[in-house]
This record gives sequence, structure tokens and C-alpha cells, in this order.
Amino acid sequence: MSTSSDRFDDDSTSPPPSDEIRAGEYVLGVLDSFERRHTQARIASEPTFARLVDEWENDFAALTIDIVEVAAPMQVWPRLRRRLGWPVAEAVGPRFWNNAGFWRGLTAFAAAAALATFFINRLPTPTERPATEEKQTTLPVTVLVRDDGSTGWIASIDVTRGKLLMAPLPHALAGDGRVDELWIIPAGKAPLSLGYVSNEKAYTVAVPPALQKELIAGATLAVTLEPQAGMPHAAPTGPIVAKGGIQKI
Amino acid sequence: MHSHVVGNLYCTRRLWHKSSGEQGWLDRQRGKGDSTFPSIGELLSVSIEIDSRSNVAALAPLLARVALGERAAFETLYKATSGMLFAICLRVLADRGEAEEALQDAFVAIWNKAMQFDPARASANAWLGSIARHRAIDRLRANSTGINIASIDLAESVVDESVSPADSAQSASDKARLDDCMRQLDTRRQTLIRTAFFDAATYDELARRAQAPLGSVKSWIRRGLLQLRECLES
Repeated sequence: MSTSSDRFDDDSTSPPPSDEIRAGEYVLGVLDSFERRHTQARIASEPTFARLVDEWENDFAALTIDIVEVAAPMQVWPRLRRRLGWPVAEAVGPRFWNNAGFWRGLTAFAAAAALATFFINRLPTPTERPATEEKQTTLPVTVLVRDDGSTGWIASIDVTRGKLLMAPLPHALAGDGRVDELWIIPAGKAPLSLGYVSNEKAYTVAVPPALQKELIAGATLAVTLEPQAGMPHAAPTGPIVAKGGIQKI
Repeated sequence: MHSHVVGNLYCTRRLWHKSSGEQGWLDRQRGKGDSTFPSIGELLSVSIEIDSRSNVAALAPLLARVALGERAAFETLYKATSGMLFAICLRVLADRGEAEEALQDAFVAIWNKAMQFDPARASANAWLGSIARHRAIDRLRANSTGINIASIDLAESVVDESVSPADSAQSASDKARLDDCMRQLDTRRQTLIRTAFFDAATYDELARRAQAPLGSVKSWIRRGLLQLRECLES
């Protein structure tokens, strides 16, 4: 009586599933907490495996598209704000003028503009130069602003040479070995790495030819803290240090 | 309009499935907005109001702004998608309080991970929905009190024959494709896969509820997944 059905029942006899199936099992939700944590660790560390999971997520999402929405209880939003460390009560009124960030941003922009003017005025002015070079002395700048409203970097993009000058207001790194990595974020798309930037010195980034077309008005430059190894990374993992929208090229 | 051929399975502890009758989706949205978010509504300018279903494509740019740390964009995203994500959490967690916590977990994760969202790899709805579902499953696993013991009848078809409203051409065609592939599975595999998904039930739980050997349940689901993958890629 012992037997085939008992043995069939014994998990140790079934071979481990392929990655494809394991990814599907995770998305389906059939794994117990141990297997689940193990699989989540793999998703975080193995991009190929993570991609298999994404595929299943996309496929099974179709099962939830006609779900009937249930209004979230009103207390969730203020609790969420608290968990994110945001002030719970937001000033009500014309947002723009009451928004401290707006004023901080404006102040930072004025400071940055003054700094940029200073840089530009210090550029040597050769007596004779072709018209194309004259333009380069007045490249527009993009200000990368920190969350507290202070200026992180001033970027100046030289499209004709595929170069980007990143001048920081010198600052300390987090001290955990992570360094600053620059990203170009085309409107509505995922960030693309432009590699390392310095936290102390003006640093010229050579923009790979494939990414030069992304340096346009409407795109955003952002700096995140990332591990030094493996730069440029495929996707950011760390917090945003500073960011700024490209207004003009 | 929706025929309920959903058997006794995943409706046993869920309140959600297609109970809205004939009321239009837009009407429901409006009703929800009025009753739930008066103060947030005042804060949001009309021009950036996003309708999560009829304007699915607009979620991706919104997520890009969230990735840049724009709190206003996050608030708009919350307003547009919290109803859908809360429903997803409630599917997995019968306990409403737990579902609320899972919803918060989900939005914290969305705020922190928005930069990882890549529209080339996933639709915004699928990405957001999967975050909510997995945060809910994490809570379900962490606290094993609400075990579902509703029995599963493997001979009974739980095929959902309802015609769903086309939220967008893309999601409608995705759904049609998945439905089509699901229909090609035998009843047993189909029932187990649907129940697993909607109840987020472990292999153990499924085996108990279906009164079938654990090994068999595993192999039915794994073969079903394999067959689905082949069909979806063909």
C-alpha cells in the first residue's frame, strides 16, 4: 500500500523546475514563503531570470484587467505619506505659489544662472574664431537640483561634439562606496546610463553615439548613487541625488 | 452582460468579481472620485487628471515623473490607480485591514522602484498590478491565519466566459490571447492555474483543497505553465 502514489507525493523525487517554470510559479503565487523568498532574491540578482518573471507578469496581468476597482479607504493616503516621511497635511490652495519647492527651485536656478554666467565670462575670448565656435561659448545649461532645493550640478551639453560637461557644487559621497552615476531619461522612457560623474570636479562625459539623440529638450538628467562596479549600469538602483529637465539645447 | 460561470471556487472569500452590473466604468470612477478624495481632488489640477483605464498609455509618462521624485505625480498616480490596486490586494487578502497595509506597501515600493520601470519591458498596468499582488502575497505568506479551505472540484470548469469591456486595444488583445491559450489546457490544469492565481494558493493548499497528491498538483501546474508558455509564444 505504500507505494507509487506515496512516492509520487514525495516532493524530493520531483526534479527542480526549469527557470521558465519557476518564474511562472512565482507569478502564479504557488510558492511557499521559503521558496518565495529564495525566488525574490534571484529576481534581484539575476537579470535573465528577472526577465522571465516580467514575461509571466505581463501575460497573467490579462487576468486582472477587468477587475472591479474598490475605492481605497481615505486613511490610506495620509498613512502612506507618513510612511514616506512626507508632511501629512499638504497646504491647500494655489499650489504653485505655496509650494516651497518651487521657490527653492527658483532660488537655486537664479544661483546657478549666476554661476554659469561666471563660468562663461571666464572663458578666454580668442580674437579670431569661426562662427560655430562662437556659439559654443553660450551653451545653455541644465541645473540638476537636489531634493532640498540646492544645486547639485550644472550640466552643459555640447551636441556637436557629443560631450556633456558636469560641474558639481562639491559635496561628500554617502561613504558606503557608492558613487554618482549620471542618467539621461527621455520623456516617458526608462533611464539610460551616461556613466560616472565626479562629486568634486568638473567632469566631461563622452556621450556614446547611440545616446546622443536623447540629449534633447524635454529629456531629464538625473544623478543616482550606484556601486562603482559594472558602470554604466543597465538600470538605476540607488536614490536620486539630483535631477534637472533639459530646457534647451 | 457578464455571465458568471465561475463556479464555487475563487468567489468563496472574495467580494470583488464583476459585480458592478451595468454601471459604466466612467460612472463608477466619478462616484469613487467624489466620495473618496475630496481634498486630493482640490489639489490636483484638472489638466493632469488621469483616467487609469481609458488612458492606460498615460500611466507610463506619469511613472517617469514619479521616478524623478515628483510628489505631485505620485499623488496623481495614487488617485488614478489605488482603486485597481486595492481590488488586487483584496483578491489575495480577505482581511481588509491587511489589504490596506499591502496597498501601502505597494505604493511605498512604487515610489522607491519607479526608476526601474521600463515601458519597453512591461505595461504600466501590469507593472503596478504585479507589485500590488506580490506585496499582498508576501503578507498572506507572513501571516498564515486566513487559510482558505474551500474545496476545489477539479472536474468543474471555472472558465470565465464573460466578455470583458475593452479597456484598451492592447490589453483586450492580451486578454484574448491568454484566454485562448487557457482554453487549450485540460480542465484540471486550467482550474488549478486559475485558482492558484486568484487565491495565491500554495501547492500545499491546492493539494489539500483539491484532495489530490501534492506531486500530482505540482506536475499538473508545471505542465500547464509549460503549455501556456508554448501557446503564448506561438
